[in-house]
Amino acid sequence: MNAVLAVRQYVSKMIEDSGPGMKVLLMDRETTGAVSVVYTQSEILQREVYLFERLDSPNREPMKHLKAICFLRPTKENVELLVQELRRPKYSVYFIYFSNVISKSDVKALAEADEQEVVAEVQEFYGDYIAVNPHVFSLNLLGCCRGRSWDPAQLTRTTQGLTALLLSLKKCPMIRYQLSSEPAKRLAECVKQVITKEYELFDFRRTEVPPLLLILDRSDDAITPLLNQWTYQAMVHELLGINNNRIDLSRVPGISKDLREVVLSAENDEFYANNMYLNFAEIGTNIKNLMEDFQRRKPKEQQKLESIADMKAFVENYPQFKKMSGTVSKHVTVVGELSRLVAERNLLEVSEVEQELACQNDHSSALQSVRRLLQSPRVSELDAARLVMLYALRYERHGSSGLPALLEELRGRGGSDRYRKLVSAVVEYGGKRARGSDLFSPKDAVAITKQFLKGLKGIENVYTQHQPLLQETLDQLIKGKLKDSQYPYLGPNTLRDRPQDIIVFLIGGATYEEALAVFNLNRSNPGVRVVLGGTTIHNTRSFLEEVTAAGFRGQSTGSSQVPPRSSSRR
Amino acid sequence: MASGCPAAFGDPTEVREGFLCPLCLKDLQAFRQLQAHYEEQHPGEDRDVRAQLRNLVQKAKRAKKKLLKQEDDDRTGSGSQEQYESFSYGGVDPYMWEPQEVGAMRSHLSEFKKHRAARIDHYVVEVNKLIIRLEKLTSFDRANTESAKIRAIEKSVVPWVSDQDVPFCPDCGTKFSIRNRRHHCRLCGSIMCKKCMEFVSLPLASKLTSASKEALGSHTSPNSSPSSVHGSRRGSISSISSVSSVLDEKDDERIRCCQHCKDTLLKREQQIDEKEYTPEIVKLYEKLRLCMDKVDQKAPEYIRMAESLNAGETSYNLDHANDLRVEIQKMYEFIDALSKKILSLGLHEDPQPHPKILQLQRMIRYSATLFVQEKLLGLMSLPTKDQYEELKKKRLHMVALETQGKQEEKQKEFISMSASVVNGDETDMKKGTVRKSEGWLPTSSISRESERADPLLQQIDNITSFIKQAKAANRIDEVHTLQENLMQLQDEYDQQQTLKAIELSKKQAEEEEIQREELQVLREKEWEREHHKFMSQHSRTHSLDFREVKQHLDVTWIRGDTNFETPAVEQLQAKEHMTFTLKPQNAPQCDKDQDQPACLNPFEDEADTPQVEEDPSNPFAKDTSPVVSFSNTAQQSDKKEYNPFDSEEEDEQSNGAPGSTSNPFEEDENPFEKPGGSWNSGNPFEEGSSINPFEVDDGSEIPGEEAIEEELLLQQIDNIKAYIFDAKHSGRLDEVEVLTENLKELKHTLAKQKEKSNC
Repeated sequence: MNAVLAVRQYVSKMIEDSGPGMKVLLMDRETTGAVSVVYTQSEILQREVYLFERLDSPNREPMKHLKAICFLRPTKENVELLVQELRRPKYSVYFIYFSNVISKSDVKALAEADEQEVVAEVQEFYGDYIAVNPHVFSLNLLGCCRGRSWDPAQLTRTTQGLTALLLSLKKCPMIRYQLSSEPAKRLAECVKQVITKEYELFDFRRTEVPPLLLILDRSDDAITPLLNQWTYQAMVHELLGINNNRIDLSRVPGISKDLREVVLSAENDEFYANNMYLNFAEIGTNIKNLMEDFQRRKPKEQQKLESIADMKAFVENYPQFKKMSGTVSKHVTVVGELSRLVAERNLLEVSEVEQELACQNDHSSALQSVRRLLQSPRVSELDAARLVMLYALRYERHGSSGLPALLEELRGRGGSDRYRKLVSAVVEYGGKRARGSDLFSPKDAVAITKQFLKGLKGIENVYTQHQPLLQETLDQLIKGKLKDSQYPYLGPNTLRDRPQDIIVFLIGGATYEEALAVFNLNRSNPGVRVVLGGTTIHNTRSFLEEVTAAGFRGQSTGSSQVPPRSSSRR
Repeated sequence: MASGCPAAFGDPTEVREGFLCPLCLKDLQAFRQLQAHYEEQHPGEDRDVRAQLRNLVQKAKRAKKKLLKQEDDDRTGSGSQEQYESFSYGGVDPYMWEPQEVGAMRSHLSEFKKHRAARIDHYVVEVNKLIIRLEKLTSFDRANTESAKIRAIEKSVVPWVSDQDVPFCPDCGTKFSIRNRRHHCRLCGSIMCKKCMEFVSLPLASKLTSASKEALGSHTSPNSSPSSVHGSRRGSISSISSVSSVLDEKDDERIRCCQHCKDTLLKREQQIDEKEYTPEIVKLYEKLRLCMDKVDQKAPEYIRMAESLNAGETSYNLDHANDLRVEIQKMYEFIDALSKKILSLGLHEDPQPHPKILQLQRMIRYSATLFVQEKLLGLMSLPTKDQYEELKKKRLHMVALETQGKQEEKQKEFISMSASVVNGDETDMKKGTVRKSEGWLPTSSISRESERADPLLQQIDNITSFIKQAKAANRIDEVHTLQENLMQLQDEYDQQQTLKAIELSKKQAEEEEIQREELQVLREKEWEREHHKFMSQHSRTHSLDFREVKQHLDVTWIRGDTNFETPAVEQLQAKEHMTFTLKPQNAPQCDKDQDQPACLNPFEDEADTPQVEEDPSNPFAKDTSPVVSFSNTAQQSDKKEYNPFDSEEEDEQSNGAPGSTSNPFEEDENPFEKPGGSWNSGNPFEEGSSINPFEVDDGSEIPGEEAIEEELLLQQIDNIKAYIFDAKHSGRLDEVEVLTENLKELKHTLAKQKEKSNC
């Protein structure tokens, strides 16, 4: 069930199969991402892969002394490019791996192009997704829906990605989906279709309890992607943005050249692996320890290594030292930038109000807090807008809604019209009418008691009170209590036992907060393994883009009523 | 199970267990014995019983196995559970999910091959057809044949498509007219316009046909015989055709064809080219990989050896390990050199190679660097012979620690008894190691640091620490002299930078052998004598500055004394000088370090030296004091003929550098820290002076440091090289500079070293 390992093993196998000799890895845009998150350059170099090329790159020089490992998505363009490549091969041998099911006709087209008999292997290796963490995968698709239904191309891609994950993990699951979401149902059907069609591929060893695929829709929980985050991974993504484990730091003031872009990979960075799920305060402490440790190991006379003795000691400690210095400078920079942003954007205060909006039920005080922050000049436009969005989602149908006033205030702050429009767009996307389950008020007596008890206990951390809806859903699923009426099975069969291997997929994108929740679920439930996937991994910005892309434009003037949905729907 | 109840045979109620014979109730200790007993004693008994017995035991065995296995499982299960629970609540961190098999995969290769085979057949036939036609077209002397005749031949090779059938150019679609004439492909007979027409030059044609002939010849295809017969008639192409053809210019030197045919032929040409060509980079790369494989093979073996040796075990031979190390290091050098060569391939050619090729070269170099870095730096160093001896001893030491503890106590008593003891020894004694019981000691931390440093620097360090100790002991006069010493040394160090002396080192080399022998003999004599005295007196507990050093001098001078009693002073001087300069050769570096203060002392501390000897309890006092003063005069007179400073500096020059490498003499330089005999080994002089009852046994082993040193130098160079690549790579130029300097220095040293050893 380890997604990272699954892709890694595929890549390793490819390299192994091609035998000794210099190699070039020929990829397309998406497979480049898939490989880069699981393998570092130096790792792959050690395995004699010296060049990484895009198949569509025009200035590739023929190098007949290289073996080519092609890892490509089976798209029309790729097949066409590959056909041309094989007609005039640039490398001596081609080992071709498609990241998904390829049609027979494409295989034929390739075979006929291979007049010089340079192809040594044609296989399907199902690494057709981005393995972010062992339990998290993404397809890096932004804007998968148009209105409330799938963009057909994205549906195809998502189906491919999801089935590839199932194949790479060797799972042939039963499927449940969120009834209230049309896209969820469509995707479930498409996945089922593929499983039926490729039944030979999905013929895995049966486990006692069959694995389960749960398909959900982001619109059921529009709150989570709007919140500021305080755990390391989530926070970095929210404030800086993680793209295939890479973080662009070029906008950080005074950044040094080699830190413009850094890689945060739990596979190769021990500090990150240990701290990605810790909150900001804990990271502060840990990074201090890291620094101290580093200082201790640092050679005493850094400025000049005077004697050979110093040199030798230095050289002997060097690999470790160097690795450490890389880690230290990276994390110090990242954490430094985070705390700068937190201070600059007054995020602690903003986050507190966000959590209040998301988790508590006190309209007047919430409204007051939002107002107060809207008046503060230190609060950024995005944060102001997200507060209003949260308010709008939370008190959508509240009798004395202060939304028009808030929108007016947002306008008064100046800034673009875009965010104001987005407020209603978000409500349209994730408002009450779109939701299948109740996001805010507890559903049954047990939940009410739970919340009451929680209130009594006091809140441990104001900034991390919020629990994503997904946690509740999965918790019920693991306990076997998830209602069939809301999350029906596809097909006649239902699961009698509690599920053990769960793959949960969020149409419209998951978040790192949810990744953390799933991580904790994995740790707290023996025998249960949950893998979380999404069309992408969102932060607030990308989520708002998703909403915009879905065509929810909202109205330019604020209104507390839910705007008519049909206008922007396709 | 096996142990039944001991006695109580007669008690009928007693339940007995164990391997009891069912018939005679004799307790056999194990099943096998029971079975043997049964077969032996009760052969006549019922077979059933026997079978039953066996059956029973087997059952028991199985049950036991099962039980044990279960226990094991339980244990591992609960163990891992506990592990997780220590930081979670019973679930599993996704990073710890159990390993999984490789995901699903599906091969299309067979289908692919099926389609390809069909296609390839078609393609091969097509290519062969073209080449055969090409052969025919070039098989006659085109230059000397009329164009009409050529046309006839061409038409006979392939039927031309009739003009009427093709009103438009099939490639570009333009209409044919009087202006836009039709052209025929000579290879397939098709029609195209002039723009779309291609040519095959005769050299290309001959290249293609001759290559395919070779291939066909080896395949003995039926097609080959006619074409080769035709081909043999070619050859007079080069004859100059003075007549220019009327209509189609130069048509005698090339053959018209269509794009399609040309493409096919060009592809064929490319294939031919590639078959023959192995680029340089491939050859180098193959060698590189070979070296890497060897390292991968040998390094683990070496590490195993080194670990064992460093632990003082004797399961491996130190020499073997050293050989292996050298071998591996050679591999690294190869890897470095090869990858460098790959990096610079084509860099000086005029059209620079394609950037991708350069990138490839860079990447190979980078990965080689990574490889070297990772593996080489993981390669632990071996102990030198001395160290090894010492390590072995340490091991023994551990065993014999208790007895030694007692002896140490005695030793301590000595010290406390002698009132004049003021030194840092006591602390050292507490550490539980046996060592010399007098002299200022460089504090351990300092000596550690200076272990591998330039001998002069180290000396300075030592003296600084001496001063500290002396100060602490309130010996102001000593502090004074020491400070003077220090200044001298520092001056010296400055001077050293500017002076060179190669001649002297050669001179030294000439007499080295003789000297060494003499010295050896004398040293032994001396040692015996001293030892004798010491044993009888037992109270050599004086604290002297440079005690040890002085002893060196003592020994040397005593040697002069005993050996050259009769010769005149002049002779002695000469000799004195010789030994003096030669010492470093005899026992490289290390004792040089110790010599230095000694050399300086006589000049500086004449007043001080006698003071040392004033102590009555010193057995050396009587011997040395006259000698020292004598030697001083000798040295002074020496100064007139030959500047002793010069000689010293020369020594330092020649020795300073090697001393500054990773020093194999760490131990020798810090005899104070080391227990037991190792500190004897490097320095033949010290042996005489180190009259420690515990060290007596430590043999007078003089290892060949020279070789080891060189090797270590090499290693150091390697290390630094590896480090430089890395620094360069990560763009820390300042580091690179420092490193390069160091590297230069090291190489210089190495060269000198070699020169010396060659002399």
